[in-house]
Amino acid sequence: MASTFKTFVSDDIANTRTLLHEAIPITGSIVNGATYTDAQSGEEKNIKTYGHGMFQSVYDYPYASSSANHIFDLAYGTSATIQRTENANEQVSNVADTNPSKSKRLNIYNQMGQVLVGHDVSGNIRKFDTDGDLTGGATHDNAFFINFARLLGKDEIKKGTFSMEVGTTEEIGAVRFDNTCIISDDGAESDYRVNSPAGEYGILKLTNGTNGNVQPNFVGGANNNCGLIFYQAGIVVLNPLIWALGNSGANYNPDALGSEEEGNDTGEDELGHDPGFLTNGVKWLSDGTGLVTSLNGDNVSNDEILNGLRARIKNIQFSNTTELNSTIYFCRVGHNDFNYSSNPTYLENSKIKVKNKTTDAPVSYITTVGLYSADNEMLAVAKLSEPLRKDPTNDITLRVRLDY
Amino acid sequence: MAFLDNSGDIILDAVLTDTGRMRLAKGDGTFKIVKFALGDDEINYGLFNKNDSRGSAYYDLDIMQTPVLEAFTNNTSLLKHKLISMPQTNLLYLPVVKLDDQSGGNEAAVFSGSDIASNTIASTSGTPGTGVYLLPSDDSTLNTLKGFSITGVLDSSKAFLKAVQGLDTTEISYTRTISSDLRETQYIVQVDNRLARVVKSDNSDNMATVSYIDDDQIASYYFSTQDSEYVHTLDPPSTQPDIVAGPQGSEVMFNLYRTEEIETSNSLFEELGGGDGSLMKIDSVEFYYIDTNIRITGATTGSSIDIPVRVMKKK
Repeated sequence: MASTFKTFVSDDIANTRTLLHEAIPITGSIVNGATYTDAQSGEEKNIKTYGHGMFQSVYDYPYASSSANHIFDLAYGTSATIQRTENANEQVSNVADTNPSKSKRLNIYNQMGQVLVGHDVSGNIRKFDTDGDLTGGATHDNAFFINFARLLGKDEIKKGTFSMEVGTTEEIGAVRFDNTCIISDDGAESDYRVNSPAGEYGILKLTNGTNGNVQPNFVGGANNNCGLIFYQAGIVVLNPLIWALGNSGANYNPDALGSEEEGNDTGEDELGHDPGFLTNGVKWLSDGTGLVTSLNGDNVSNDEILNGLRARIKNIQFSNTTELNSTIYFCRVGHNDFNYSSNPTYLENSKIKVKNKTTDAPVSYITTVGLYSADNEMLAVAKLSEPLRKDPTNDITLRVRLDY
Repeated sequence: MAFLDNSGDIILDAVLTDTGRMRLAKGDGTFKIVKFALGDDEINYGLFNKNDSRGSAYYDLDIMQTPVLEAFTNNTSLLKHKLISMPQTNLLYLPVVKLDDQSGGNEAAVFSGSDIASNTIASTSGTPGTGVYLLPSDDSTLNTLKGFSITGVLDSSKAFLKAVQGLDTTEISYTRTISSDLRETQYIVQVDNRLARVVKSDNSDNMATVSYIDDDQIASYYFSTQDSEYVHTLDPPSTQPDIVAGPQGSEVMFNLYRTEEIETSNSLFEELGGGDGSLMKIDSVEFYYIDTNIRITGATTGSSIDIPVRVMKKK
């Protein structure tokens, strides 16, 4: 009996799962405005800001162009109460303020908190814990959030591949990257946390870059934990205190935390931070048009803060992961299968062109494989790169992979 | 000692067709792959030179150099011609499906090349032969077409569509009975569901049951020898048959009936046929028209034929 289909048996269908990785380098000149800033107006054409001022969007090309791809968003958030790092029992309020940006920072922090670290047993939104131990310890009370678009992050960021180099020189401009530090999740492929409602996350560490002066025991009290990276969510949480001004200038210096008794302080700011913290007299927040004097002060907008961050990003790189689920169909073409064709050119007056006499072997040439449903609808198709000869002397197994 | 060639297994990446994506999106379990077919749409077997003096290795040199196109995702555009499995390797002839436009009553309308180019024909030009069939979209159009002396108007009193399957060769006597392996017992008829429905050849009101309609609105109808009003097994004739010269297998016959959409609206004539900018004249009477194809495929042997049909609507 002639037939044009061959039915799969259970042994002909197999399922596989493959993780594909892409390296994603993001050059700082795109992020910090060097590439797409209009020379006359100074407008950064690939940075979209919003009237609500809650976040900025970074594109890889001027965003008015249809060629532009959204690559990540930046936001800054602060918690309702900020613990003084040097005294865990002392907290200051971060709510009452006349600066409208401040309530938005609180909203951002709480939104990211409830999504990424969830709620405690009392239903309160947790803070971002510096070491992932939610039972206590130091927290990131204010944080930059870098939300990578799915275009870059795909299914998840590959653990242990994230690295970000930032300038820590006090001034921006040509010298901004004379001093840098590296923020990375080195070792996270075998050391990550799973107690987040948003999936797995790793601890970001701070190490020296160019002329670095990273001091030990940064924020978390140990190991220079400077942030968190949520792999499936594609979100980096970055503690701004890495830019805290120390006695010597650029990088954090634990001595600069000091109490008022340590002698170099001029008094705490309204958040309870000592001078030397980012939150007081932070020159690094200059966006080129002036100096921002206080990160949480009344006169600082979120866009100014985020401009300051962008200006200091030298590069970001990571690998993403795409989880590829595949079904492989083994199309087993036996020696007696598919040796004839219904191609109109196959016949001339019903006679098979590739045969002279009945004892000649029939020949056909495969160029296409169609996968069909029971009601003969073609659901998927695969093409060969060149015609494949089929005759009764050979059998062929075509492995057709369908990815989901 | 050389390494063994392990390249026998070939890995191909498949893409979902539009129908595949549609069924996957529905999530109703209709996306289930259960079988496969192979095709050779790009191959021109006329390039097979079995007389090449250099030997058999050169017979298919041109065929093997045929470039292969990337996959279309339109499910109706690929695998128009499938490869066939048959247990015998000693076959020298294969059956074809041919349009029977010679029988009394179902001759197609004849438009010569110049007729088609000018879109103006005289009503007296019709003689039996190859051409297109005319499907009137309403009673007014039908009555007007009936008034002309042209053939191929799909109506109970006029033409219907008929295809005959068999070995179209005089090398084998038509008095022989075709091998059961080569006799087609099931046909697939594909029709644009926006334009027409399949009905019995006498154009009675009974619509055939459509098997499925794909995302491109192509309706597929399955007819087997059990559907005796559509498919007939043919015995060896006593005289030389007109359509298939050798042993005959079976025939399928049916008619088309206009859809409500083309009967009550001009919108498809505007969209698919060019509307007022592309009118056809028969004896100065103007018609809107849409050209379409009706495809008949032998489900067993895979041979197929496309029948051109012109849907007409009097302006």
